[in-house]
Amino acid sequence: MFYPEYNKTFAMAEFQDSLAQSITSLRAKAEEAARTIATTDALEKFRIEFLARKGSVGQLFEELKSVPPDVKPKYGKLLNEFRIFVDALYQSAKTKIESTSAETDTFIDLTLPGRGLPLGTRHPITQTLDDIKSIFVSMGFGVVDGPEIEDDYHNFEALNFPPNHPARDMQDTFFLDKDVLLRTHTSPVQIRVMKERRPPLRVIMPGRVYRNEAISARSYCLFHQVEGLYVDRNVSFSELKGTLVAFARAFYGSSLKYKFRPSFFPFTEPSLEMDITCFLCSGKGCRVCKQSGWLEVLGAGMVHPNVLRNVGYDPEEFTGYAFGIGVERTTILRHNIPDIRLLFENDMRFLKQF
Amino acid sequence: MRLSIKWLRQYVQFRISPEDLGQRLTSVGLEVESIEHLGKVFDGFVVGEVIRVRKHANADKLTVCEVDVRRKGTSPASVLQIVCGAPNVQKGQKVAVGLIGAVVPKNQHDPEAQPFVLSKLKVRGEESNGMICSEYELGLGTDANGILVLDETANVGTPLAEYFGLNDIVFEIGVTPNRPDCLSHIGIAREVAAILRKKLAIPKLKIREEKKSNINESISIKIENRRDCARYSARLVTGINVGPSPVWMQTSLKAVGIRPINNIVDITNYVMIECGQPLHAFDYDRIQGKQIVVRSASEGEKFITLDQKEHALSASTLMICDAKKPIAIAGVMGGMNSEISNSTTSVLIESAYFDPASIRKTAKELGISSDAAYRFERGTDPNGTRFAADRAAELMRDLADGKIHKGAVDEYPRKINERNIDVRISQVNRVLGTALVASDVKEYLLPIGIRILKNSKGRLKCIAPTFRPDLEQEIDIIEEIARIHGYANIADKMVSAIDFSGMTTSPDEFHEIRRFLEGSGFSEVVTNSLVDLRMAQMFSDRVVSILNPISKDLSAMRPSSVCSMLQTVSHNNNYGTKDLRLFELGRTYETVRKEEKGHPVPGYAEKEVLALCLSGRREHRGWDSSDKGVDIYDMKGVVEALLNKILLDKFHFIYYDSHSALTEQTIAVEKNGTYVGFLGKVKAELLRKFSIENDVYVSELNVQVLVQSDEGARSYSPSSKFPIVTRDLAFVVERNVLAEDLQRRIVKIGGKLLAQIVLFDIFEGKPLSENKKSLAFSLQLNSSEKTLTEEEVDSVVNGIVADVHNTFGAELRSS
Ligand SMILES: [Zn+2]
Repeated sequence: MFYPEYNKTFAMAEFQDSLAQSITSLRAKAEEAARTIATTDALEKFRIEFLARKGSVGQLFEELKSVPPDVKPKYGKLLNEFRIFVDALYQSAKTKIESTSAETDTFIDLTLPGRGLPLGTRHPITQTLDDIKSIFVSMGFGVVDGPEIEDDYHNFEALNFPPNHPARDMQDTFFLDKDVLLRTHTSPVQIRVMKERRPPLRVIMPGRVYRNEAISARSYCLFHQVEGLYVDRNVSFSELKGTLVAFARAFYGSSLKYKFRPSFFPFTEPSLEMDITCFLCSGKGCRVCKQSGWLEVLGAGMVHPNVLRNVGYDPEEFTGYAFGIGVERTTILRHNIPDIRLLFENDMRFLKQF
Repeated sequence: MRLSIKWLRQYVQFRISPEDLGQRLTSVGLEVESIEHLGKVFDGFVVGEVIRVRKHANADKLTVCEVDVRRKGTSPASVLQIVCGAPNVQKGQKVAVGLIGAVVPKNQHDPEAQPFVLSKLKVRGEESNGMICSEYELGLGTDANGILVLDETANVGTPLAEYFGLNDIVFEIGVTPNRPDCLSHIGIAREVAAILRKKLAIPKLKIREEKKSNINESISIKIENRRDCARYSARLVTGINVGPSPVWMQTSLKAVGIRPINNIVDITNYVMIECGQPLHAFDYDRIQGKQIVVRSASEGEKFITLDQKEHALSASTLMICDAKKPIAIAGVMGGMNSEISNSTTSVLIESAYFDPASIRKTAKELGISSDAAYRFERGTDPNGTRFAADRAAELMRDLADGKIHKGAVDEYPRKINERNIDVRISQVNRVLGTALVASDVKEYLLPIGIRILKNSKGRLKCIAPTFRPDLEQEIDIIEEIARIHGYANIADKMVSAIDFSGMTTSPDEFHEIRRFLEGSGFSEVVTNSLVDLRMAQMFSDRVVSILNPISKDLSAMRPSSVCSMLQTVSHNNNYGTKDLRLFELGRTYETVRKEEKGHPVPGYAEKEVLALCLSGRREHRGWDSSDKGVDIYDMKGVVEALLNKILLDKFHFIYYDSHSALTEQTIAVEKNGTYVGFLGKVKAELLRKFSIENDVYVSELNVQVLVQSDEGARSYSPSSKFPIVTRDLAFVVERNVLAEDLQRRIVKIGGKLLAQIVLFDIFEGKPLSENKKSLAFSLQLNSSEKTLTEEEVDSVVNGIVADVHNTFGAELRSS
């Protein structure tokens, strides 16, 4: 530590009176006080005691007034040098405190977690829906929706389900009135869209549908579908397949293996179901794929000529395809969720995982 | 390129309006950028004849005139009484009369004044039904001392615009660089004739030459640089009287923006504007050695052009010289030394074809832009030089008493031929997606000057004219076919053209809302829309019930998403999650009257709603967080922010006294008077039914109304560049004074300078007296025009303080 050296001999030799003695004793006191300064409070106390206008040094300057004029300059010089000395003590203590306080006075625990921001989550059903919709929108499909409360005509009759036909039993229905029901699939939107517009027509119709089935781990009373429809001149089955493969590759990954098999829906002909290799067991067979190695992911087909006629299109002029994708089923498979009911419980511990 | 419609009509006749013509031209690639009605300022002004003049009884300097304007119909009458102050008005004069309703461009008494509308006046007791105008008032000149006296042969009743030849309409056409042929009236007339299927009438020249004098005895042409000058034609006209050109020519030139100079210069300009060939007129007597030499300049050679500027030439500059000296920079500008002057009697008319690249280089190098260079550098018609020279010579004969020497000199050392281009009909249709046949193509091409030599097996041998240097290969001809066929007549096909109107092409139309809420810490839930019937009936008396429910607790469609929300809160509370920020985008369902329109299935209404739910702690729990629970201001803050984001300021809140059956502290939201939804605190008795202990705040908003955006892309509004001054004011008011009322008042009084206001503190209690509270606002003042002075800020603040004292009894709180 560096102090500007105060000439002690100078003080002792020439001044033997009370003022000189005062300075001598005050110097010892100041040095002692400065040595023990450890806090900013103590520092301030030191400043007030010695350096402030009414402090000890200031007092000595007051005494200077009564000194005879012939020795006044000498005393003045002496006092001034003393004040510079005390001030140096003060500055040096101050520097010492400032350099240590940052490290020692406040301890910052950087391991404390940051102040949290609440994190919002998107429901896994919505995530799946968004992904499916994005893929089809990028392929030039528009998006439309329709009512969940439907009439028999749109939900069944126009879709080539004749009244009292066994095909209706495929879909257990909630009725609100004699002819009013909760739609059992998004296909009635096809009818509404086709009646409103003329081909070419390329839309997907996402939405919520209802089935009057016992609620279990595998089935729920409602779920979501994405219906697709493309009607134009010369729309072919091969184009349907191409589109579905393009979708499946975009959604499940480009290395996907798939197969198409014939199926039956009253409103399409020929109809198909698309299976992809079970991605949980890589086709070896597991609980989810019921040991088959394959997962059914969607149903589709060429729009039935009867349906085209029902909406006033000439089947000779136009052809079309339609498909339907189950969103919950896709979501469950995708995230390996064992029970469909988890999706509708909205438990935060569940939602936070996606 | 300025196109005079009057001028255009010399070559093609049509009936459609100028505006329609403009659209047609634009649709074939000649973009009409503006349409100017030249005489429009003279609407309501006619030629009149002063038939009687008498002194005004009550004013020395005024006369009362009767002016015949020969207007048909009863009102205004054929003869008008007009009070006139001009000293020079006399009986028998033809004058310019402004009728009642006409707009006079200039005010004699006030040069700064706006144009004014003439109305019926009484001037010191005498009726005045119009105005006899001075040159100044019409904006035609500076003479304001007397009325403008018109030509005595002027027809009374003629619109003034017509009298001045200003009954013309001028198009500004943006001619693309590939179409030099359209830098002329004949060129555009050819396009007009083609698109309107009219006949193009190019003036037939019958040149009347002097029999005795042969041009070859007077001038010879020597082209040394054949690359840059493929052709040089010239005519010689002698015995000329240089003077002003006739009014019709001056009017035509003025209309297209060219200042008339004298008959000779005007004629060369006129012919250039007519057919696109730039001409140059030399004073023949200043050409030495009866010879024109076309050669390149020598490097550094000096030359003074007729704008009196000296240029240092480069070796690539093509010059027109006589036997001794250069007399013009070829295609760019003539020289002073051979310029037409008032004493010129013999004129050599140059009509040449110069290489476009060479002219462009020279014009750039010398920094000269001229109408001639503009055309040469885009490519003139090498086979049109004779027409232009002959046309100019004829005009000089007619308008300047010139005598045309027999013959023309015409050096054409590098013949430029028409191009043969093969066009396959199949390729036309393949490129355009059309089903055109050869006869269509022929019909489109012939009128624009493309001839078809042969047509065999769908392959047309076309000949492109030399005035169309842009036509080089098949695709160029296909473009011509498309232009004339009309782009609008080519079907808009896509692989299949889908009409996406009325559909969303975004994968999620509620994307903005979702993103906002996720970012604000809300978790999305998807809940069952089937609920217990009795539960549903608590929310609505128009519940949709299910005839064949699976079970009693799934026996109805939810009329409100609040019940699904409360179920979700209840479930999560049971499993220990009490701090909840939830949202759902889903539907609600109610029955409506069967007759009510707009529902796909009559009698049932479905609504797309956003449900919000807050419960538990306000802050994400952490070592530094408070344990305060949410309150209505948290919910209001979320709704406000969301609405601000998607609706800007187009919404407002309505405050209910808590009379809602399900919520208290209820606030309704409206957008332009349409109910959007509500927010509020769920009543305790309802919470009890769901076994929920914590307070729950909910909001349900009709998202369909929210996202129904009437705005396009938002437009920028500039932020002030001047500093913001902040003043904090705390007002002490009665406790029942509403903060919003006070704030609105402050905003109103603060006016434009009050840029922003924030309520930053509310205080009640000591030392304020009971029933009082303090509301502290932070005001940001700012001007878009200047830095506000202390005085200006004080004046606004004092105004606010005084006003709210009067309106609310508000006292400024002393600090
Ligand atoms: Zn498997």
